Amino acid sequence: MTSQPAGISLRGVGKTYRGRGKTVEALRDMNLECAPGSFTALIGPSGCGKSTAMRVALGLESYDSGEVLIAGQTPARATAGGVTGVAFQDAALLPWRSVAKNVALPLEVLGRDPAKSKVEIAQLIDLVGLKGYENALPGELSGGMRQRVSIARSLITSPEVLFMDEPFGALDQIRRRQMNVELQRIWSETQSTALLVTHGIDEAIFLADQVVVMHANPGRVVEIIDVPFARPRQPDLFSDPAFHALTDRIAKVLHEE
Amino acid sequence: MRNNLASPWMKSVRNFVILIAVWEFVGRMDWVAGGALPSLSEILIQLWLDRADYPLHIWATVYASSLGFLIGNVLAIVAGIAFVLSPTLLRLMRGVNIAIFALPPIAIAPILVLTLSGMAPRVTLAALGVYFVTMSATVIGLSQYDSRSADLVRAYGGGNWLVLKLVRVRGAIPDILSGLRIAAPNAVLGAILAEFGGGGRWGLGTYLLGSLGRGDPARLWGIGLVATLIAGLSYAVFALISSRISGSTAIPSSHGSDGFSRPTQALILCGTVALPFILWWAFIKLTGVPDLIAKTPFGVFDYLFLSDTSAIARGKLLEALGQTLPIAAVGMIAGLAFAFLLAISSRMFPGFIKGFMPIALVTQTMPLVALTPLLVLILGRGYSVTLWITISVTFFPAFVLLVQGIQRVPQSVLDLPRAYGASAWKEMRMVSIPAALPYLFAATRLTVPRALLGVMIAEWLATGTGLGNLLNRSRGLLDYGMIWTVASVTVLLAVAFYYLVLIVERRTLARLGMQNVE
Repeated sequence: MTSQPAGISLRGVGKTYRGRGKTVEALRDMNLECAPGSFTALIGPSGCGKSTAMRVALGLESYDSGEVLIAGQTPARATAGGVTGVAFQDAALLPWRSVAKNVALPLEVLGRDPAKSKVEIAQLIDLVGLKGYENALPGELSGGMRQRVSIARSLITSPEVLFMDEPFGALDQIRRRQMNVELQRIWSETQSTALLVTHGIDEAIFLADQVVVMHANPGRVVEIIDVPFARPRQPDLFSDPAFHALTDRIAKVLHEE
Repeated sequence: MRNNLASPWMKSVRNFVILIAVWEFVGRMDWVAGGALPSLSEILIQLWLDRADYPLHIWATVYASSLGFLIGNVLAIVAGIAFVLSPTLLRLMRGVNIAIFALPPIAIAPILVLTLSGMAPRVTLAALGVYFVTMSATVIGLSQYDSRSADLVRAYGGGNWLVLKLVRVRGAIPDILSGLRIAAPNAVLGAILAEFGGGGRWGLGTYLLGSLGRGDPARLWGIGLVATLIAGLSYAVFALISSRISGSTAIPSSHGSDGFSRPTQALILCGTVALPFILWWAFIKLTGVPDLIAKTPFGVFDYLFLSDTSAIARGKLLEALGQTLPIAAVGMIAGLAFAFLLAISSRMFPGFIKGFMPIALVTQTMPLVALTPLLVLILGRGYSVTLWITISVTFFPAFVLLVQGIQRVPQSVLDLPRAYGASAWKEMRMVSIPAALPYLFAATRLTVPRALLGVMIAEWLATGTGLGNLLNRSRGLLDYGMIWTVASVTVLLAVAFYYLVLIVERRTLARLGMQNVE
């Protein structure tokens, strides 16, 4: 593998959208360092630039100033090299492809032969608890199951860096907690650097090593809070007093202007 | 109570049976125009007597329309993909696309007969008839896709081509299929109109035209039935393949002017306007037809303004325009107004609309304008036949579009005024009419070419006035300059009308804060 350090590094990144007579400063001087193998959560209100930060890191959008390095490379090189994996808010599955073929999509984009990865595809589908659904079409699955397919798809390239943009945003609270627990298990098995964009404070705390709180107008980082809880974290952490104290603290930072 | 449980389908079948029964009775009694409308049984008997004539005529029409359908659609799909990959190309070709959409086929049929030989004019006209519908459907199908899926492909370093291949093409197939479905009857119509335009012994259009003078209503109706059946079958084949309900009638456009400087934009605009004329010029040079017969744009200008007989030619043209345009406008306005009133009142008489809608949809698949001889038979050769043809070719498509537009309004929005005790009239004024307005504009744009086509065919075959007649007479007099002039003026007029409606539409809807229906 590469000798370059895995991880995510944004240094002084700025990004402004210019529309007709209206400019929106989506990101101002954003600094973020994610150590290799760490889990980071980005949290903030709508329009705070958390999704923009992720899209910039993925090379889906350009940025005006600063420097972005993914595993020591530019975003474009990192994504084209299969270093990254990504899961979006919608499962974004192609409705005409089976579960297995959806999971294999990144391999096709990268020009690799999916037939060689049959074992990995089956293992990942098993890992997200969908064994037996390999040939099902997305339309036949529930919302939670579709989301798990998209998690499996994000892992198919064995990514060093994993990006998730509100992957459980469309799920109900109960299903969401189950998925949080499963995601922690899956992530700990892959040893990847993870960046999660989310609206949920409890989700951020439960999963992350550091929670990055952002504010809007202009989109900026206001505070980075470390999460001290030991791993593996159990579901009963959600009702721990220390967990609630941290939740209150982050909520306070989120709501002060 | 049982009646309420009957499905709309059952009602349509019931209405259809009643219609056939009334038709049979009226026909047997010779009540319409002294026997111009024969009964169904009389038509079928005549069809049986003529059975030896049909196979060759049917074969000629089916052959030309199938070949045209194939060629036109291959071109359309390739063009659609190219336009999606390059918006600049789409903008550059917009003039050509609109011209192909707006040209009344009958106007260029004589030109094609002059410049091409054998089956080629029919195949070309059939191909022109399908190109626009399929091209639009391809562009729209490829443009509407899940942006998240495209992001996903890009997030793994995939470029435009991979996005097109993995995400967009597969998603566009239903749209393309519904485009093919709408295009199929157009191919039959194009082939029949080219047969009207002359050349060849065989073909249902030739047969129809040849039988017009013989005064045998049952035979004319038989040919009309067979032509409708072929068009309907071609539609049904693609309706079976794609189970989508509504097809798109949109004109794809590249909005905004992103990324281009003003000079570049002006250059593209010039290209857009010039390209149709360049293609016209190139077509003549490539076919190698002598200048005497085939006129380039310069030739037409020369004929109208510079030669010795220019004044006479201009006089004839203006006289014909003066006859054609008013009646086309009146017919179109009547057809649209009738469709609009009926569509907005659909909330008050839902039962009637449910029964009528299938009939309106069926007429969409009929080569209506190709059946003009039947109307001539019933209505004679006066102005009323022109008017009725124009009304019927504008009414049905406008009605279908308007009803589908109103149906797209969410039920809750329709119910809201009622929940506050609004009367049916108030509800119509507040919701149904504004909801239908964008579709009225779209319907106007889309029916302009049809109205012109309807009037010109009626003039050509029956009334002996206007542009259609001028075209037909010039054919007989070998006045090639006039043939090219009428064709080009008609197409220019149709395009100009289209843009006029579009401008009024954009202004009005912008003021009302509405989106126009693409």
